Amino acid sequence: MSAIVEVRDLYKSFSRGDEKIDVLMDLTLDVQEGEFLALMGPSGSGKTTLLNLIAGLDSPTEGTIRVGDQIISEKSESELARWRTRNVGFVFQFYNLLPVLTAYENVELPLLLLQLSKAQRKKQVENALSLVGLGDRMTHRPGQLSGGQCQRVGIARAIVTDPTIVVCDEPTGALDAKSANDALNLLGLLRSELGKTILMVTHDPHAAERAQRIVQLEKGRLVGGNPLPALARLN
Amino acid sequence: MFPNAAQYGQSAPVETSLIELALYGTVALIGAIFFLTILAIITLPLFFGAMYLMELVIRGFQNLVDPVGKYAKLAGLVFRSLRRNLLRTALTYIALFVLTGMLTMLYGVITTIGKMTTDQENSQLVIMSEKFGIPSMMKPGYAANLKGLMRDKLPKEMQPADIDQNFMTWSFVGGTLDPAKMTQENSLFLFALDPDAVTNGMMKEQGLNPEDLGEDGWAEMMRIIDLVKQDKRNIVVGADRLEKIGKKVGDEMKLFGTNYKDIEFECKIVGAFPPGSRMGMNAAMRFDYLIAKLDDYRARTGKDHPVADRCLNLVWVRMPNKAAYQQLAAVVAEPSSFSNPATKMETFSAAIGSFLEPFKDIFWGLKVLIMPAIVVIMCLVIGITITIGVRERWTEMAVMKVMGFQPWQIMTMIVSEAMLIGTFGGMLSTWAVYFLPMAIRSITKAIGVKFAFFDTFHSPWEIVLYGPLLGILVGLIGSALPAWNARKVKVSEVFATVA
Ligand SMILES: Nc1ncnc2c1ncn2[C@@H]1O[C@H](COP(=O)(O)OP(=O)(O)OP(=O)(O)O)[C@@H](O)[C@H]1O
Ligand SMILES: [Mg+2]
Repeated sequence: MSAIVEVRDLYKSFSRGDEKIDVLMDLTLDVQEGEFLALMGPSGSGKTTLLNLIAGLDSPTEGTIRVGDQIISEKSESELARWRTRNVGFVFQFYNLLPVLTAYENVELPLLLLQLSKAQRKKQVENALSLVGLGDRMTHRPGQLSGGQCQRVGIARAIVTDPTIVVCDEPTGALDAKSANDALNLLGLLRSELGKTILMVTHDPHAAERAQRIVQLEKGRLVGGNPLPALARLN
Repeated sequence: MFPNAAQYGQSAPVETSLIELALYGTVALIGAIFFLTILAIITLPLFFGAMYLMELVIRGFQNLVDPVGKYAKLAGLVFRSLRRNLLRTALTYIALFVLTGMLTMLYGVITTIGKMTTDQENSQLVIMSEKFGIPSMMKPGYAANLKGLMRDKLPKEMQPADIDQNFMTWSFVGGTLDPAKMTQENSLFLFALDPDAVTNGMMKEQGLNPEDLGEDGWAEMMRIIDLVKQDKRNIVVGADRLEKIGKKVGDEMKLFGTNYKDIEFECKIVGAFPPGSRMGMNAAMRFDYLIAKLDDYRARTGKDHPVADRCLNLVWVRMPNKAAYQQLAAVVAEPSSFSNPATKMETFSAAIGSFLEPFKDIFWGLKVLIMPAIVVIMCLVIGITITIGVRERWTEMAVMKVMGFQPWQIMTMIVSEAMLIGTFGGMLSTWAVYFLPMAIRSITKAIGVKFAFFDTFHSPWEIVLYGPLLGILVGLIGSALPAWNARKVKVSEVFATVA
């Protein structure tokens, strides 16, 4: 079984003015296909930065990142954009739905970038929304939905293109306990039923517990835990 | 607002003080802004209605096969973004409407002046006036002299087919009802001329022609001219002037000459020039009545009236073409033709041109400074609105980028929003300025009332095209910067905790 995400000797720094800030250093990480991985660590440790790099939102200063059969660390910005549509589903802390669009339209948005027939698009949107239990809320705007429901729309939007990986940056950060639990159940379901690979950044130990593996990030380096997944834990 | 030849002969424009002009300008500007703002608010439902209609059409397209359906969905997003902050969109529309309206009005003024001061190749109306004196005052015999010169000194093909039919003399007569205390409310300015000049189309430039008056108006004018021919004392007064002096058609009155001292005219008002027309504030009388009165004066006092020898102010001639006019001008300029006083000949357009000469800098400023400045302000208005909109949706645009939207797609969306407001603003504004007076004209005509302003206000038709085009251009330029910024949204920065 091969890793679906392979991060090798990753190094990322930002320069602000003359100052150079090292955010990620010498980082190596593998994620197995179908694995649910939690990424923890103190604020400012570089979790979001790492997630963004894996999701192809930014390019590393040094090192390589492979996702599926693509070396994404070598891609240009517009290549990355095209790649993201097919391969990455992103779940945000604050849902980030477009307020002017209905739940249906929000979920449909990424599909507009793909070559799909209208019928196919409709089928995929409806499938995604009924999977998250919002088949009856398709015409609602985000303003007419609760936070938990919004996040479920966000999850539906993340999976509607059937991406290679789903990345979540503190998906429960803005939710109450019950909604958070629902969202986590949903993520678990995605992994167990659909075999999705999920990378989740979280501060919440309860949320992290739902993952199969937890890696800790501290000042840009992975500490503790095994950077390579234990096959035993996968099942 | 445009000079008629009366002013040209009567007073020197240089005397209009700049302060006065600035005052009029300011009042006109405030008036225009006020009027346009009202119009913008009135057309606001039209604007949102048109946008909604367009959105409906686009929504219809969304059900078509891809890629039409797909692009229609993305276009739908543009409309919804504009609907998101209705107040802001409305204010932007109003600002653009008012600015475009001002631009349209300035354009109208400038093109009209351009047209008036451009020589027409065929059938030139030319004016003979005193060369050095302002106001121009010539000997009454000059009219016959000029006719003689035209007959004798011009080759046949350069002469008008019938000189008498293409010839008109003007004498300016000021009259007041109360010589003791002359005011705006009791005085009149009259053109003394041969009534046939109206019939012959020589008064065309003063708005007395079938195009300006309409068929019915022209027929009415012919009826009035017939009345004037019946009695020397019959006069025609502009409707606006009638109102001012509190008289009506049918009234008789005694006018005391102001520039013809000690002469009293017994007049009967037999008709009115349409309100708001170029003759609306003026009046016309028969030239032979003026001559008769001057003869009376000599009979009464035993000597010539002081102005009797200078009672001819302007002579108008319609020449077949430019070469003919130039030839005649050369003849007139010869000292042997007219020497005391000497005269000059110029085309009507050149006459207006020289009348406008002192204002040339102002027109130049309007064209080169004010009009571009308005366009720049329009760009800024759109730029600010779009910038605020982009700021507000910074995260949303980052999210779209995360999904894989390309920078140019985001840019297109932003620019489309700007062009949409710009186009509708420019279109409705110019269309309102163009079609509203037309609509009012036809309504007032239908119910039989006259509305001075709208009877004379004609905008050049091309503004109907320029309006939307300008809107597109302004939208494009105005949104360029914010769209470029939106394009550069760094997704990773939006979602990271940048300390
Ligand atoms: N675009 C950027 N420019 C400069 N510095 C950045 C940028 N993005 C991140 N950083 C810096 O990198 C460090 C890590 O940021 P990151 O957002 O990855 O932290 P995080 O672990 O996700 O924190 P949190 O738990 O608060 O979300 C921070 O010190 C941050 O200031
Ligand atoms: Mg973070």
